[in-house]
Order: sequence, then C-alpha cells, then structure tokens
Amino acid sequence: MRGAAALALGLLLVAPLVPLAVWSVARGWFFPDLLPARLTWEAWSAALSPRSGVPQALALSAGIAAASALLAVLVGLPAARALGMRRFRGSGAVRLALLAPVIVPGIAIVLGLHGLFLRLGLANTVPGVILVHLIPTLPYAVLAMAGTFAGLDPDLEAQARSLGARPAAVLRHVTLPAILPGIVAGGLFAFLVSWAQYALTLVIGGGKVVTLPLLLFSYATSGRNDLTGAIGILYLAPGALALVVSARLLTGRGAGLATMHATMRAKVRA
Amino acid sequence: MTYRPLLAAMLAAPILAPAFAIGAAAQDAPTDWDSVVEEARGGEVNFFLWGGADNINAYVSDYVGGLLEEEYGITLNAVPLTDTADAVNLVLSEREAGVTEGGAVDLVWINGENFRTMKQGDLVWCGWTDVLPNDDLIDWENPAIANDFGVPVEGCEAPWSTAQFAFGYDSARTEEPPRSIPDLVEWVKANPGRFTYPAPPDFNGSAFVRHVFYHAAGGVDGLIGPFDQATYDAAAEEAWDILNEMEPHLWREGATYPTSITQLQQMFANREVDLIFDYNPSQFGVFVEDGTFPETTRSYGLDDGTIGNTNYLAIPANAANRAAAMVAVNVMLSGETQLEKARPGVWGAPPAIDVSRLPQDLQDGFGALPQHPSVVPAAELAETALPELQGEWVSAIDAGWQENVGR
Amino acid sequence: MRSLRWRGRIIPAAPVRTVPTWVLLTPALVVVLGLFGGGLALGALRSLDADPLPGQMAWSLAAWGRVLGDGGTWASFGLSLWIAGASTLLSVLFGVAVALMLRGAFRGRALASWLVQLNLAVPHLVGAVGILYLLSQSGVLARIAFAAGAIEGPADFPALIWDPWAAGIVLQYVWKEVPFLALVTLAALQGIGRDYEAAARSLGAGPARAFAHVTWPQIRPAVTGGAVIVFAFAFGAYEIPALLGASYPKAMPVLAWERFTDPDLARRPEAMALALLIAALCGALVLAGARGLRLGGVR
Repeated sequence: MRGAAALALGLLLVAPLVPLAVWSVARGWFFPDLLPARLTWEAWSAALSPRSGVPQALALSAGIAAASALLAVLVGLPAARALGMRRFRGSGAVRLALLAPVIVPGIAIVLGLHGLFLRLGLANTVPGVILVHLIPTLPYAVLAMAGTFAGLDPDLEAQARSLGARPAAVLRHVTLPAILPGIVAGGLFAFLVSWAQYALTLVIGGGKVVTLPLLLFSYATSGRNDLTGAIGILYLAPGALALVVSARLLTGRGAGLATMHATMRAKVRA
Repeated sequence: MTYRPLLAAMLAAPILAPAFAIGAAAQDAPTDWDSVVEEARGGEVNFFLWGGADNINAYVSDYVGGLLEEEYGITLNAVPLTDTADAVNLVLSEREAGVTEGGAVDLVWINGENFRTMKQGDLVWCGWTDVLPNDDLIDWENPAIANDFGVPVEGCEAPWSTAQFAFGYDSARTEEPPRSIPDLVEWVKANPGRFTYPAPPDFNGSAFVRHVFYHAAGGVDGLIGPFDQATYDAAAEEAWDILNEMEPHLWREGATYPTSITQLQQMFANREVDLIFDYNPSQFGVFVEDGTFPETTRSYGLDDGTIGNTNYLAIPANAANRAAAMVAVNVMLSGETQLEKARPGVWGAPPAIDVSRLPQDLQDGFGALPQHPSVVPAAELAETALPELQGEWVSAIDAGWQENVGR
Repeated sequence: MRSLRWRGRIIPAAPVRTVPTWVLLTPALVVVLGLFGGGLALGALRSLDADPLPGQMAWSLAAWGRVLGDGGTWASFGLSLWIAGASTLLSVLFGVAVALMLRGAFRGRALASWLVQLNLAVPHLVGAVGILYLLSQSGVLARIAFAAGAIEGPADFPALIWDPWAAGIVLQYVWKEVPFLALVTLAALQGIGRDYEAAARSLGAGPARAFAHVTWPQIRPAVTGGAVIVFAFAFGAYEIPALLGASYPKAMPVLAWERFTDPDLARRPEAMALALLIAALCGALVLAGARGLRLGGVR
C-alpha cells in the first residue's frame, strides 16, 4: 500500500522531466507521435557549441552564483554569529528583516532598484547582477549559518582563550572547524538560490547578462524544444550534483542538502 | 543604525541628481569614412536583435561577426531579445538615468512602433547613413524604404531586409485554404477550433488583425497618413464585429489566444490548428527543413494583398561604439552579405538594397537563388503588397483589440 | 566572566573583548535594508512621479488611479490570488501526506525520499518547461490519450496550459512545492518524535484522531511557515506564468513587467504601483505570520 503510493509519488516526481529528456534527443517530435521518429544528438552538440551561447551562459551563471554565494557568506557570517549565539533585544525584528526578502517577490523590489543601478553604472553589468542576487542569497546564508553557530559551545572559545590562544588562533583552530559545515551549507544554499534567479537577472542584467535560465526561457519561447530540453537538463544538473555532494560532505549519509534546507527553514520559524 | 546614511543617500539620489541635458542626442555625424573605419578598428559592437530564430542568430554571429573580425578586428556581440521593445526600453532607461554616452546598445534591429518611439524621443542617432559607402546601393527614392511604418526615416536608420506577410497551410490536411478575409470567416465557421491568432501586441498577431482592419475599412487607402480618430472609429466597429463573429469558432472557442507566434507555430506543428501565418515567409522553409513543419507545408498571399514592410538597423544616440556600429551596418549592406542572407538555407530574407545597382555576378547570384517549395516567391507576393500604417494606428488597433476582443 | 576548572586548578578566564551585537549585525542589515528597503522605497517614489525626466519630480497619484481603476488589474490580482491560494492548499495537503508516508518504513522509501530531495534541486523554470511538454493539448499525456483512443484530437484534451484557470501554473507549483513542504513537515515530525501519538493511539484514538489532536498542533507552526513561503512565491514569480499563462488576464508579475517594458514611459509608474501591490500583499503575509511563526529569540 505504502509501496504503491511511493511508486506513484516517484512517477509523478519524474514525469515532467521525461519529455524534456526525450526532446533533447528528438527531432520533429509532434502530435500524435508517442516517441520521436528520429533520435539524434544534434541538440546536444548544438547546446555544447559556443554558437548557441550555452557554454558561455553556463560559465556566467556559475560565476555569478559563486561570487554571490561568497559575498553572502562573508557579509552574513557576523550576523549569523549574533543570531545564533546571543540573546538580544530586537532579535525577532532582525530575523523578520532578514526573512522579508525571502518572502517578498524579487520583481516587486527590483523594478524600483533598476533606476538606482543605472545611475550607479551597475545596470547591465555582471557585478550589478551579483549584487542584486545578494537580496535573496544573503538571508538564506545567514539563517543557515546561524543554525550552526547555535550549536557552537561558547565555552570552547573561552577555554581556548583562557589557555592563552590568540584570537586568530581561536578562530582558526576552534571556531572555524566547528562552523565549517554551516559555512558550506550556507554557501551551497546561496549558490543554488542565485542559480535559480530569473526576474532579478532579467531586470538588472537588461538582456546583456545572459545567464542559463534567461537562455532557457528564450529557447523555450522560440519553439526550439530540442535545445530547450538539452539546456533544461544542463540547468538542473548542478543542483542535483550539489545534493549528492552535500549529502556526503555534510552528514556522511542520507540526509542531504534538501533535508538541511527544510530543517533550516523550519528551525528559523519554529 | 549605520545603514541610515546609505539608505538616505539611495533615496535622495534620484531627486538630487542633476537633470542631464535631455534631447541633446548629438547629431554630430562624421563625414569621412576612412576616419570612421580607423576609429572602429579593433573595437566591439553590441548588436541587440530579436533572438528567437536559430538561423538568424547563426547568420549574424558567425557570418557577419566573422567578416567584421576578419576585416576590421571588430568583435560583434549579438544580444538576443525576445522583444525589440526591451532594447528600446533599455535606451529609454539609460536616458532617464542621464546616461547620454557610453550606452549599452550600439546597434538594434528595429522598425515600426519602436523606431517611432526612438525617433520621437531623440533616442536614435541620425544623419550617419549617407556616410556609408554602401549607402549607394539603397534606393531612398522608394517610399517603402524611405518610410518606416509611415514615419520618414531621414537618415536615422538603414534598411536591412524587406518582409511581406503570408499565410501557410499543410496541403496534406487542407485542400483549399481561404484567400480573403470573408473566406477566412466562412472557413473558420466550417472548421471550428482549427484557427487562431496570437494576441496583439505580438508582432504577427498584430499584423493579422490589421489585415482584418484594412478589410473593414474598405481598403488601406483611407488609413494612409497620420492617425484619424473618426476614420478609426468607423472601421474599428466593423473590424471588432468580424473578429468577434469568428471568436466562438476559434481554438478553445476564443476564450484565450496564443501569446506569441512561436506558440502558434508549435500548435500548427502539432496539428492543433490548420492555418499559420508569418511576416517572414522564409520561416516556413526553415521550419520544414528543421523538421518542425511537415514537408507538405505551402504558403500563399491573400487576393486583396498582404502587408509588407522594411526592417532597419539603428544606432542609439547614446551608443558607446558608434564608429564600429557604422562599419557593421556597412558590411551588412554589401551585396555579398545581403545575398548570403537571402539564401533559403541561411535565412531567406529578401534584400533591402536595390539589387539592380549591384555588379552583374551578384545580380546573377540573386537570380539563381533556389526557391523552397514551401515558401511563396517574394515576387509573387509583391504583386499585391499593402503598406504598413503609422505607429499610432498600430497602437490604436492593438489597444482596441485588447479592449473589444481580447478580454 | 566565568572561571574554569582544569586539572583540578581554578583558572581565571582571560578578559574577553566582545564585539557589540549591533556591529555584528550591521553588514547584513545594511545590505538587506539598503537593497531590499531601497528597492521598495524607490519603487514607491517612482509610482508617485508623473515626470519621466530624471532629476525632476512631479508628485501625482495618476498612476495609482489608472492601476486601481482598471478592471484588468483586479482580474490579474484575482488570478494571482487564485494561483497562490490553490497552489498552497494543494501543496500543504499533499506535502503533509507525503511526509507522513515517508516517516514509515517500507520498500522503496530510500528512493522515494531521494527523488523528493532531487525535485527540490530542480529550478522552477525547468519544471515549467517539463509541465508544458507533458500537459499541453498536444503534449505527452494528450498523445497517450490519443493512442488509447480516449480523444480524437488535441482539442479534446482538457486545456491545462494557457488556460483561464491557470491549471498548468498551479500544477507546476504543486509539483515543486509538495516535496518542499514534505521535507519541512518531515523535519518537524522528527523533532517531536512518535511518543505522544503512540500514547494517544494506546488510549484508543484512531489514526485520524491522533493526527488531528496530537500531531498536527505540533507541526502546524512549521507547516504554516512553509505555506507562507509557498504562497508568496506563487504570487510573485514571473517566469512561470509568463511561460504557461493565458493571454488574459495575466498574473500580477507578468502585468508589472509588461508595464515596465512599455515603450510609453508614462506607464512605468504603473509598473511600480503594481510591484508595490505585490510587495504589500506578501508583506502583510509576513507580518501576519510573524507572531504565529515565533520569530523571536535563539532556539
């Protein structure tokens, strides 16, 4: 009974991905054909050649996501420490302020920001896009890292200091090793959140910064279903990879990034 | 509360920033071609163009980009758009923010409403076309070239291609397609659910609605010239009546319309509808070749004629790389690149230059172009060509459709 | 300051200079409030500015008047509410069910939970394209129905994409958010353990009663938090309704983007007003949920 329900669930979960995969090796696959009459690697070789713009977009998306994640971790680390380790008045308000950008949709914010970015020379540039991606990535990074800080015993640092360790040594030998999983998780989160952005990139990038989702949308709306299928699979690969890697890296067993994701969100709230 | 000053600065910026000289789009066109080429060498051009067709992207990036790199060391960055209005909007935004030079857009593929917006807003650079050596190949005496949707070009853009609307059908499914608007209405009633059109402002959907509007107005003659409310009102009522009469017999009973021509193309490919149309009939051939449309696809014009237009290349007033953009346009206007562009396997876009002004071998090249069986010959369409209307007409018809038919 | 006992000796702790809390919070708050708050404030300012020229301000409520007075805005608002509401309700329902299922032990559990996690890593846009190819009237399901003789042509297949009910959009969100809510719920379930439920069962409560009276009250905060995120996302995402939406009415974000890119500059303030309407609804949601979500304090 449970097994049957799980089977149905599994089928539903993969169902939308199947036509994508089939289209990526199809040519002229139209109603009423259940399967393509011709299978070909044309879409893949087109997607992997620079002419389609896919390799460039892939590199650009990865670069933007990595830079945005790094920034989010650096900027967010002190706040994560404060939220995770200290009790202070107004911590609820701070959490609310950090949570607001997660909930209020990007398009509602970025239309207003566009004029300012233009004025600052940041519109239509990669740095501008990295900066605007901080809006959703920073809260995730802070909240993910705060969870690890909460698990860090402040006495450990105090002990090390009392034994004569200098602050830098305490940081290197005590604090960092203890919070590293949180930094990795926060960074991965931030990376995936940036990786998924569409509207923020569209508005601030002004069509000049073509990340993978923009290219995917462009091909999807121009009727190139075969290329769309190939790009779609390329686009979901890093997330799936991060899932597998993080499962090993963070816990060494089944509980992967996604579970951490959910637990983190739940913890933030409950 | 250290963020306060920053926030305050951010809020104040748009108010305090000095008003940059608006409308001061420099009209300082160069006169000496050699100095233009000298300045352009080794530079780059950011070319914003509708990016929905793979073959067009390949022609621009590989062929034109290759020529520019080879001969002038110029890097051509083709920036794909889903809507040309996005590029115009970008230039507008830049001007709003006071960016009067060093703008992101160097060159844009444009015509009609978007050109009108740019010209009226002094967003486009004028007076540079006659400096191009290949300007000699353009027949500026031809009103269809010298006017872009009824707006005088006046050296503010250079023609790139011409296009004329055509209908398409699958001859294996449909024996005799309708060849006039009244026939179409009858055909739609006899074949419920088998026709629809993209909702304006989609470029092709908008052009289809104009065909109905021309018919309702008793021909295009009364619509030429500036917008006239009384003429519009008289024709509009009839036009919306025709379209609303068709509506219940359209795809999904007309409860909704496709939002883009590509959506309609997918539906034609999937046999959800039996008629298709395109402002660029060579697309029918491209789609047959890449397996999207059946090989039995055929195309044709209407008995009363179909609408034709010219599309252009424009340089924004605040472009960062004007010289390189001019060199790019000159290359795109040469006989060789226009011939390459006209090849059915490449793009199949009819030339905007006057072929009779070319050397004999290039003229022969144009004469020897193979004709794709799915593409109605441009010459056949051109026998009954209808002009485009001024932008205000187009806007009014699009808005009227949305008000009276679309919702 | 505290002292430590180490190898039997009492060690006085070294004096520690602690960095003030507000210094720690400053970098993150500057970025969040600067970009997020700044974006909202600038949008509000621009929605009230009738002068399209830079550096000049002409206060006017005209854009708000046009936006609020247009029936099209309210059609869009209603559509987006429907999309977000239906998506959230279905996602919560199935998400909790999936979590309860995954809690048990059964064959294939590992694979099922791996697929649930994988789904979370799939970008929404990829899911939307997949749904398009799967559910359109000439999509894979329609072809299966045709092959089975259930329909005679694409038109007989129910309109799930580009339809007025936004079925495809809702289904896409449900597809993406059921796994999310399932994992949120699962985490909450693991947090509370099964003791209370088992106790209730041993006292004679049926499974439904035990769930309603014992389990649900304990996981409700976590599920509510997840639901708020799902609702706000479904209300404010642009690319999904842009790909799967009908020609009229358009979802709020699509309408805002259309106004923003209108060549007529006079319509830009309308885009800003629409953006603020989206922000206002989601902001109200955050504030309303803030109390229920127990935001204060360290765990």
